[in-house]
Amino acid sequence: MRTRILSRTAAAVAVLLAAGLAVLTPAAASTMAGGVASGVAGGVASGVATGAEAISTGTWMATASVTSMTFTANTDQLSTVSNTGTIALSAISYKVTVSNPASGTPTFTLATCAVAWVSGKCSGGAGTQVGGTLAKNSTTTVTSTQVPPLNGAVYLEVQPAAVTASVTVTLGTSITSPAQLRTGVKTSQ
Amino acid sequence: MSQHIHAKTKSRNKRPTRGILAGLFVASVGLLTTTGVYAALSGAATGSEAVSSGTLNLTLSPDVGVGFSNFTNKMAPGDTDNVFVNLNNTGTLASAAGMTLWVAGTPSNALTNGSATGEGLNVKATQCSVAWTLATGVCSGTTTPILASTQVSAMNTAGTAVSLSNVPALAAATGQVAHVEVTLGLTGTETSTNGVAPSPTVQGLSTTLAYTFTEQQRLGTATNQ
Repeated sequence: MRTRILSRTAAAVAVLLAAGLAVLTPAAASTMAGGVASGVAGGVASGVATGAEAISTGTWMATASVTSMTFTANTDQLSTVSNTGTIALSAISYKVTVSNPASGTPTFTLATCAVAWVSGKCSGGAGTQVGGTLAKNSTTTVTSTQVPPLNGAVYLEVQPAAVTASVTVTLGTSITSPAQLRTGVKTSQ
Repeated sequence: MSQHIHAKTKSRNKRPTRGILAGLFVASVGLLTTTGVYAALSGAATGSEAVSSGTLNLTLSPDVGVGFSNFTNKMAPGDTDNVFVNLNNTGTLASAAGMTLWVAGTPSNALTNGSATGEGLNVKATQCSVAWTLATGVCSGTTTPILASTQVSAMNTAGTAVSLSNVPALAAATGQVAHVEVTLGLTGTETSTNGVAPSPTVQGLSTTLAYTFTEQQRLGTATNQ
C-alpha cells in the first residue's frame, strides 16, 4: 500500500515538472531562432561557376646508342640518336668530351645523316657537319638542327684525324625547352 | 499494549516520507501555477511583413566551341589551348564589381603546384564584348584583358584566388553575359639529358584543372519605409 502511494505521488510530481518545463521551453527556442536569423542577415552571398579541363604534357628527350668511343686509328665510328620523346624537336645538342691521349694531337668532327651511313657516306655524300673541329682534352657542346623525328632517329658519325694513341670520345645528348622544340601550336576549341 | 506501541512507531515513521512527498507536490503545483500566471499575464502584439530574398547565380557555359573540355594533344611549352566560355549572372541580385578565379589541379603535380620552379601551367583570360569567333580565335568586338598570364601554382587554392579585373558585364545588373576566352599555356624551361628528364619535371604529366569563378553579391542596401 505504502509503495503504491509513493509511486503515484512520484508520477504525479514528474508529470507536473514536465508540464512546467514544456511551458517554459518555447521561450528559449524563440531566442535561439532569433540568433540564427541574425547570422544569415549579416552574411554575404556568392555565386560560383566551375569548369574542368584535362591536360597532358609531352616529353622531349633523345638517346644515343653509343656514348663512348675509343679511337686508336683514324677510323670513323657511328652512333644512332633516337627521339624517345613525344614532342617534335627543332634542334638537338651534343656534349662531346675528348680525352687527353698519351701522345699526339688528334682532332674530331661530327657529322649527321638522316639515313644510316654506308661506307662512310651519307646517301653518297658527306653528311652535315655539326659544330667545328674538336680538340683533345676538351668538352664542347655543339648544336644541330638535323633532329631525330618523332619515333625516328638521326645517324651520327664521329670522324677522327691524327690519332696516334688511344683517345676516347664520350657523347651525350641534351634538349632544352622551349628553344629546341617545335614551334608552339595554338588550339581553339 | 505492545501492538499499540508498534502501530504508533509505524505511524511516526510514515510522517517524514509523507511530508517530503507533500512538499514536492506543492512545489510542482506551484511551478505550474506560476507558469500559468506568467502566461496569463503575457501581452502579445503582432504585425506582418512580407519579404522575399533574391538569388545570386553564376553560370558557366560554352560561348563558341565546346567550352572547357579535354586537351587531347600532348602540350609542349609554347603551346596554347583557348576555350571560350560565357559567364552569366542568372540570379535576381546584381553582383559586386569584381570576381575571383582559382584553378585546382587533380592530381596536384609540377604542372600546378610550383614544385618545378618557374615552370608549369599558366592561365590568361580575356573578355570580348561579343561572342568570340572560334575559327580564328578572334574577337570582332572589343577585348578587355581580365587576367594576365598567371601561373596556376599561384592560384591553386580558394585562399589564393586571383581577382579578375575589368569585368563590367558582370558587375552591373542581372542577366548579363561575359564572353571570356581562357587561354591555357605551359611554361617549360628545362633540359633533358641523355634521354632523361630533370627532376622535378613538367614533362609527361597529366592533370584535370577545375576552374572556379566566384562573384560576390552587391553591397547590402538599407531601406526605410
